[in-house]
Amino acid sequence: MVTAAPRTVRVGLAQLDSRLGDLAANLERHLAWIARAREAGVDLLLFPELSLTGYRLHHLAARMALRPAEAPEIARLAAACKDLTAVVGLVEEHPHGGLCNSAVALAGGRIAGIHRKLQLPTYGLFQEARCFRAGDRLDLFPVAGTTAGLLICEELWHPGLARRLAGSGAELLAVLSAGPGRLGATPEPASQGDWELLTRATALVDTCWVLFCGRVGWEEGCFYPGGSHVVRPGGEIMSRASWLEEHLLVADLDLDEVTRLRARLPLLADERHGIEGP
Amino acid sequence: MLRREEIAARLTLDADLAVAVLTSFIVDTVAGAQARGVVLGLSGGIDSALAAALAVRALGGARVHAYYLPYRLSSPDSRRDAEAVARHLDLPLTSWEITAQIDAYFDAVDPEADSVRRGNKLARERMAILFDQAKKRDCLVLGTSNKTETLLGYSTVFGDHASSLNPLGDLWKRQVWQLSRHLGLPAAVIEKPPSADLRPGQTDEAELGVDYPTADEVLYLLFDQGLRPAEVVACGYPAAAVERILALERASRFKRRLMLIARLSGSAINLDLELPRD
Repeated sequence: MVTAAPRTVRVGLAQLDSRLGDLAANLERHLAWIARAREAGVDLLLFPELSLTGYRLHHLAARMALRPAEAPEIARLAAACKDLTAVVGLVEEHPHGGLCNSAVALAGGRIAGIHRKLQLPTYGLFQEARCFRAGDRLDLFPVAGTTAGLLICEELWHPGLARRLAGSGAELLAVLSAGPGRLGATPEPASQGDWELLTRATALVDTCWVLFCGRVGWEEGCFYPGGSHVVRPGGEIMSRASWLEEHLLVADLDLDEVTRLRARLPLLADERHGIEGP
Repeated sequence: MLRREEIAARLTLDADLAVAVLTSFIVDTVAGAQARGVVLGLSGGIDSALAAALAVRALGGARVHAYYLPYRLSSPDSRRDAEAVARHLDLPLTSWEITAQIDAYFDAVDPEADSVRRGNKLARERMAILFDQAKKRDCLVLGTSNKTETLLGYSTVFGDHASSLNPLGDLWKRQVWQLSRHLGLPAAVIEKPPSADLRPGQTDEAELGVDYPTADEVLYLLFDQGLRPAEVVACGYPAAAVERILALERASRFKRRLMLIARLSGSAINLDLELPRD
């Protein structure tokens, strides 16, 4: 009989409400949610985009900026992440100047990686390019026995990024979001339909797990609907948090689902590059 | 090309979710301001009735303070309907006639003032009273202007247009009707022709020169969907109505961007310097 230990990872999506511009209060709440997740046995805990600062900062962004390697706030968070990995959102002072909308992965008591948002929406109610400089690289992160890719909100709307991460070995894509809600005729927020179309399509064509961590609360009359969710490789929604309420969504992922699906549906292996034409 | 019935269908909301989101807005804003509750004027019309109903759901009746502030020429129907709404919501209704101070002002300074000036004065006197009562009670003033009338400029600057928070400001008029029916507000309030009741016999639609369903749909096509005026006409709307709506919107833009500051520095408020409201 052949036996192999199943490759599983327990993930947590911290669907919380950040207080705009209140780094100290948000830090304490992050520490409390990390403790909660640890009690729940979570291996990988995601927070929403700009979770430490709130999203609609405008010109307050500079006042909120941290240098992760030096900031005592990050040192406290890292110290709380000895036995789990947490990904938090913050305004980062870029080593070469300017501010970035960044996601920092903390694991083993230290900073395990930084992803700087590559696509800064600057249309409609979004003004990110006025406040932030865009990042310039993608990375893979080893997490709890697998390889993950981090994406921040708008980046999921540029599917080449998820494709590159999956094609380079990511079995799990973690999306940190602060997407504002919109309503329509459906019983879920209209904005949720767009997100689930994207997360499910990504999980299908990139044959990987997709974690979407959104937030709740209000900023300047904009609401964040929540609706954080976990999508199986292939596109089925495994679990979803409620609307409008803080929630820690915990799910156990079988990473071998990726292996099995990729054997059955070898889209990444079949991907062709260098095709001529437009 | 969109057909009129398709456009109307797009403006339908899921009422339960919309009510949940709007009540959460009131809860969050009042808590964020550390206020005790809200004050609002009940005019006997549908907009203030819906705002009051949302506030009662959000905060409970004890934290919602309703005022009916009639002038000697106000319609008796307005009093009847304001009282019906207050009874329906189990809200005490404070009624103060404002004839003395309005007439004293015009008798003393300008007995020949026209009806528009007198109407504006009424709207501003009411709002001055509401802000004073809000200060006394440590409350916020709840706005009642909907998106359609705001885009058409059908309001008095610093009068009915003023508020601390407005749950109705992104609702088209038909959505106000929809949510009011959903919440079971008194039929007389829902079915009567909308009127500012600043002059005897006044109705919104006669004064605007366009009916609300048409205004909702044309404004939606122009400002939500980005159609050009000729394209809106091609959808089946009368050219005269489209032109009228465009003219009203253009003439009232100053009402929607209230602070006009002469910029002298590199940190002019709201131009260079954008600080979050929250």
